[in-house]
Amino acid sequence: MSLLEVRELEKHFPVKSGVLFDRTVGHVKAVDGVSFEIEEGETLGLVGESGSGKSTTGYCILRLLEPSAGSVKFMDRELTTMGREEIRKVRREMQIVFQDPYSSLDPRMTVGNIVGEPLQVHGIGSSRGRRSRVRELLDVVGFNPGFVNRYPHEFSGGQRQRIGIARALALNPRLIVCDEPVSALDVSIQAQILNLLKDLQRDFGLTYLFIAHDLAVVRAMSDRIAVMNRGKLVEIGPAEQVYTNPQDDYTKALLSAVPVPDPRKMQERKTQRRKLRHALAEA
Amino acid sequence: MAVSPKDTRVRAATLAGPVGQAGTAGEALRQASLWRDAWYRYVRNKGAVIAGVVFVLLVLYCYLIPGFWKIPGIWTSLADIDPYAVEFADARQGMSLAHPLGTDRFGRDMLARTALGGQVSIQIGFAATLVILVIGIAYGSISGFVGGMVDNAMMRFLDALYGLPYLPFAIITLAIIGTINIWTMTIALSIASWFTTARIVRGQIISLKENDYVRAAKAVGARWHRILLRHLLPNTLGVLIIAVFLELPGVVLGEAFLSFIGLGISPPEASWGAMAQDGRAVYRVQPLLIVIPSVAIAMLVLCANFIADGMRDALDPRTRET
Amino acid sequence: MALLEVRDLQTHFFTREGVVKAVDGVSFTLEKGKTLGIVGESGCGKSVTALSIMGLIPKPPAKIVGGEVLFEGRDLTKLSERQLEDVRGKEIAMIFQDPMTSLNPTLKIGTQITEVIRRHYGVGKDEARKRAVGLLDEVHIPNAAGRLDDYPHRFSGGMRQRVMIAIALSCNPKLLIADEPTTALDVTVQAQVLDLLDELRHSHDMSMIIITHDMGVVAEAADDIIVMYAGQFVEQATTLDLFDHPEHPYTEALLGALPQIEGEGIREGRLTAIPGRPPDLIDPPVACRFGPRCPYANRKDSCTTTMPELREIRPGHLVRSAHPTSERAEVREEVPV
Repeated sequence: MSLLEVRELEKHFPVKSGVLFDRTVGHVKAVDGVSFEIEEGETLGLVGESGSGKSTTGYCILRLLEPSAGSVKFMDRELTTMGREEIRKVRREMQIVFQDPYSSLDPRMTVGNIVGEPLQVHGIGSSRGRRSRVRELLDVVGFNPGFVNRYPHEFSGGQRQRIGIARALALNPRLIVCDEPVSALDVSIQAQILNLLKDLQRDFGLTYLFIAHDLAVVRAMSDRIAVMNRGKLVEIGPAEQVYTNPQDDYTKALLSAVPVPDPRKMQERKTQRRKLRHALAEA
Repeated sequence: MAVSPKDTRVRAATLAGPVGQAGTAGEALRQASLWRDAWYRYVRNKGAVIAGVVFVLLVLYCYLIPGFWKIPGIWTSLADIDPYAVEFADARQGMSLAHPLGTDRFGRDMLARTALGGQVSIQIGFAATLVILVIGIAYGSISGFVGGMVDNAMMRFLDALYGLPYLPFAIITLAIIGTINIWTMTIALSIASWFTTARIVRGQIISLKENDYVRAAKAVGARWHRILLRHLLPNTLGVLIIAVFLELPGVVLGEAFLSFIGLGISPPEASWGAMAQDGRAVYRVQPLLIVIPSVAIAMLVLCANFIADGMRDALDPRTRET
Repeated sequence: MALLEVRDLQTHFFTREGVVKAVDGVSFTLEKGKTLGIVGESGCGKSVTALSIMGLIPKPPAKIVGGEVLFEGRDLTKLSERQLEDVRGKEIAMIFQDPMTSLNPTLKIGTQITEVIRRHYGVGKDEARKRAVGLLDEVHIPNAAGRLDDYPHRFSGGMRQRVMIAIALSCNPKLLIADEPTTALDVTVQAQVLDLLDELRHSHDMSMIIITHDMGVVAEAADDIIVMYAGQFVEQATTLDLFDHPEHPYTEALLGALPQIEGEGIREGRLTAIPGRPPDLIDPPVACRFGPRCPYANRKDSCTTTMPELREIRPGHLVRSAHPTSERAEVREEVPV
């Protein structure tokens, strides 16, 4: 039994128009029938360009957005039909790390309160117990626990992401959805955070749904990869295979467009593209 | 990619505190907070600073001066600044050493009376503003937080309410209630002026709702009331403080107007507006009696406006420096 | 004579917190017909460098406190605002990162293009429109004539970037500065935009400066590359030379930190992270600014007390470091590029 089973997931956003009262005139299918499974302990990379629906998929799985159709089974329990209180309890097992380190932390709360909020919300531990757990968590993510009483704005992007990761770990979840966790960070900090995520997975037996648009980053983190295009899942398979032997045209186009830090290869590609353009122009 | 021996330094370095001159991942940045930034910007705005100082002085004047006559030894050289001491012989005098702002129709000292009147005006002003805030926050946050059709309906209702003329409505309310005291005035003044505050709060809540940290709170299992009270409302603080200083002038002027047309609180607990009404009858003989309370009202209102402007500029993140 | 010569440029920001030395001694030369890539991470000063060349830095709080910017022999830092306005658009043009905010949403595309043309050439409306259509054609926007009267929101991100390029080209500038031109675009669109820039560069006989943090982009688009760190430039070389033989420890580390698409053991292995963070530019270290994060710096080295000088380690390859790769006695772990 897989840890997470997603079947025919759909999410539609209504298109509204109207002067006094909005009427729904159509739908945008952000997620249009997506199915996949994630085994415990593995990382599934979900890759796609902007507008592909990858982040929306992640939010629907966690029911931060309500799915329009489809089924999401987590630990063999159907999430889409659960009531609010039930979902709250399940939330302890699945968490999320957000993309933007600047808007994902409440600017009015101290670091300690942010990381401790999950514990407080679920009534875990005493006040002192929570404090010590928070310090433990900050330590594990490489953030100086001495700064529990500081505010997020005092820290850099990379440090804030660490705080966000500590928060995600607080409840000992089984699954963590990483929504573009390093896209907003510089390359040198990116590597730090990716290494951290790898270590945490190993140390705590975590399962990741790793959402990103950067193919190289996804490659470094994932066991299997799913490619999304305009709401549909176009290809899914072991990472190695998808990258070296892509089946779908879109995947092929995506892979050939990714810039690599190798000037010779890039020149080669440029020449190939030029030839293609001339061939098309003459046709 | 070969594994580099430098890697072991990563975890160690990030756990430790500052190393050498540059910080490691553990050190906090040196950065101004929103409030400190705002304070600096506010302080650079000369108009706002002067307004702030005058405002504070005015409030201090209203609350400290009347107490002085009770303290022996302070004003003994200046006799007769008891606002209740009626002395017909001294009626309607101009400014003098004994009575720095003159006397009123009944010979009561104006310096002290203006201060007392100020207390009433300010009290009503702040009380009404508070009521406006409470209603406005409640209405606006529910509307903005719930969203959808409820928000739609609530806003359309608000649009309809906007049509109500503020002062006539206050008058009607006072007529319905019957008595006129500080509390009824407060209600009458606030009942038709909370709409803008509600709008402002709703707007803030709607834009704040989109922040990732709200989603994060939801993801962690927080219930709606925690999200609203712990995450959304505290972040509207800046906007709320500005709203206070924007509503205050309206309410103070409203009260002054009502008092001026005779619907105010009767003397000697008279507010500035009532004092002005008092002075209206004799302004040709002693203009001070209407000028002084009017100037006082104008000062309070102007200062509040300048302060609100200054705060809005100070808190506007778009004018942040690099 | 080189088209653009920047000598020891220093741009400082005078803030309440102190003086931020955003650009602290940058020099380079750009020959006609070449593309220069300036790479670095956020805060290194690359965008400020570009803005300083054009005189577009916010005058308070920023100020060019030293150095020269010689464009065809003229020092741009000494020009008045009016003179600079004549240069901008006509001699040097710039395109920015975010196509969503660089175009005025309330003006039609056609207006935004013809505005520039008429400013510099003073031609009539019809003539300007004709030229605008020609430009949109050049940047491969289908149905150019019809789209002149559209507003920006009717274009996708990639197309808006093309419109920006069209505006930049409208007066045939000699130099085009592109500040992160592809960062906000999808990967498949990035390649198209870079190809377009390359094509236009040749057809207009233009030189280009590309500023980016993406090593893949400069690998494709640039002839020469400058690496910036903490307001200074730390390495300069031709593209091939930089990728084949990076000399500065920062460049090396940067290349090592990039996740690879191909190779063995990617999933299991770790990325070579650079510990720490760039220094605070308000009070930058007097010594080598990369020192605290450098794996090769020892306490006794000169680079911990004084700033290393820029030197030519190979013809055409400059580096500012006391520990360039080719001079390191012990080779720690060969990092395959």
